[in-house]
Amino acid sequence: MSELTLLILRIGFLILLWAFVFAIVYALRSDLFGQKVRRLPAQNGASAASAPPAPAPAPAAAGSATARTEAIAPPAAAAPTPTAQEVADEPVARRLVITSGAKEGMELELGEDQLTIGRSADSGLVIRDDYTSTHHARLMLWSDQWMIQDLDSTNGTFLNGKRVSIPTPVPLNTPVSIGTTTFELRR
Amino acid sequence: MPPTDSLPTFTKSIAITVRQPSKLRNLELFLLLVAIGISATAIVLVQLGVNGAVDVGVLLQAGALGMLALGMHVALRVVARDADPFILPIATTLNGIGIAMIYRIDLARGLSGWEGLAVRQMVWAGVAMIIALGVIVAIRNHRVLARYRYVAMFVGIALLLLPMLPGIGLTLNGARLWIQVGGFTFQPGEIAKIALAVFFAGYLVTARDSLSLTGRRILGLQLPRARDLGPILIIWVAAMGVLIFQRDLGTSLLYFGLFVVMIYVSTGRLSWVLIGLGLFLGGAAIASRTLTYVEGRFAAWLDSFNPEVYDAQGGSYQLVQGLFGMAHGGLVGRGLGQGDPTITPLAESDYIIASLGEELGLVGLFAILGLYLLFVARGFRIGFNGTDDFGRLLAVGLAFVIVLQVFVVVGGVTRVIPLTGLTTPFLAAGGSSLVANWIIAALLLRLSDEVRHQPRLVVDE
Repeated sequence: MSELTLLILRIGFLILLWAFVFAIVYALRSDLFGQKVRRLPAQNGASAASAPPAPAPAPAAAGSATARTEAIAPPAAAAPTPTAQEVADEPVARRLVITSGAKEGMELELGEDQLTIGRSADSGLVIRDDYTSTHHARLMLWSDQWMIQDLDSTNGTFLNGKRVSIPTPVPLNTPVSIGTTTFELRR
Repeated sequence: MPPTDSLPTFTKSIAITVRQPSKLRNLELFLLLVAIGISATAIVLVQLGVNGAVDVGVLLQAGALGMLALGMHVALRVVARDADPFILPIATTLNGIGIAMIYRIDLARGLSGWEGLAVRQMVWAGVAMIIALGVIVAIRNHRVLARYRYVAMFVGIALLLLPMLPGIGLTLNGARLWIQVGGFTFQPGEIAKIALAVFFAGYLVTARDSLSLTGRRILGLQLPRARDLGPILIIWVAAMGVLIFQRDLGTSLLYFGLFVVMIYVSTGRLSWVLIGLGLFLGGAAIASRTLTYVEGRFAAWLDSFNPEVYDAQGGSYQLVQGLFGMAHGGLVGRGLGQGDPTITPLAESDYIIASLGEELGLVGLFAILGLYLLFVARGFRIGFNGTDDFGRLLAVGLAFVIVLQVFVVVGGVTRVIPLTGLTTPFLAAGGSSLVANWIIAALLLRLSDEVRHQPRLVVDE
């Protein structure tokens, strides 16, 4: 085996190694560098009008086209149905209602698990607008009280107009604002 | 699947029973095939570099391992379909590169077959993968582990103390970390770190409130109450015990660092990190003055190129040879099989990073560090997305075990921190370490499977 062949092979090996690293980084791109702002196709109607122009991949479109059914059907199946004892206790919020923004009037049933909010596709509540961070905030149930925690978002999470800096209890019927979306927790 | 004209009803019934192939698993399969390709290429390059000819026998043995990795992938398709697709390929690549390097050192020393470390490493890798597979299949829900947190504590402590027992304890290179049963040696501390991570996660979930919410604020820093300092002091005493009685700085740093990081992650209080660092640096400072072996390590670190230190018993000879080796490698390395890594003592275990640095150069070493970075980033991401506190803490703790090992070993070899003997995860020769790290990979896979990435409501502007 000549010296030159070995040299080429060994440089080739280093390139292969880096190609592997970059293949993984490429597959992880949305996770590492945040989600791109995506626009809905025209079929979704008026709500898409004010969004910045960007190509809309198919999964996002499919996700939001069925958003209404998703919002009502799967959580009801996934979240455990509230037991009689829970109802008797002091009121724990069991619904999240969007009070203003693109999806005004939409409801989401809250289970017992946390709900992550952000632009990334793996969030529980995906909000895609110019103001929302990839992992923006999360709602957690701490001993029968929903707490909102801001995950160091750029534009902040506002509870009743005040910016949230530490995990804060969310009272019922109090507006929480993230970007242009406002929601309340209700029984 | 394309429906055929002749058997429409048949294909229909299959379409219902056969589930949609998972996108994540297909990505994993692709990356895994690349990983196996990288490992095979590395072994071929070693053979070409040393002998100038390809030996098919060793490739077949390594191929069996590759099949095992593929078997693990197939098993994941059944038992953990939503598991993270990057962990298995990264672990396989690192393990494969490690085997190639150990094989290369065997060739340089003229060892072959069962005499050589490479064959033993391959057998251990096979055992480790089978155990990892067992972990994924047996533990279907990680919350079960939370129930056994105190059992994990006792197991961890028992494993730590095992080498101290007369009869089976074994002292190698000055550290009493091994047990020997028959002709078979094992390092129980490697398994202990997993048991302790489980215990810390379980304990901190229950104790978090008292550790994070109480205490006074002094100079902008919220300090814990004196009585809440108990656990950290106990772990500190245990870590110092490892340092003094088992004479191993790295393991001691690993256990204590793990606890400090997990307590910080669970409480979010900076004061715990400062207390932990203060305790450890205080302990290390006292140890460096009173324990001769620690003192020697510090001298070798600070004054490596002093001829007196270089020639001293337990001096900086190994460290300096490792540095020279990496310098010899330069930017793109000498090429696999074409350097002289065997000049450095323990080139196949503690110094495998220096050996790889010599033969793959800075470019290759950074690719390896990049793979570790991605592996650990996945661990932290799994923790971040976790649905329950125990799972989150456990994922962060397990990922941190890997970080700390890489930092301590690579930092030690490159003279950033004093040299301490820890194994480089997945790369270094050593069965116990391989088993432990593959179990960590298996637990991360299991934890990631339980994170369902299903958006429940999408709000688009």
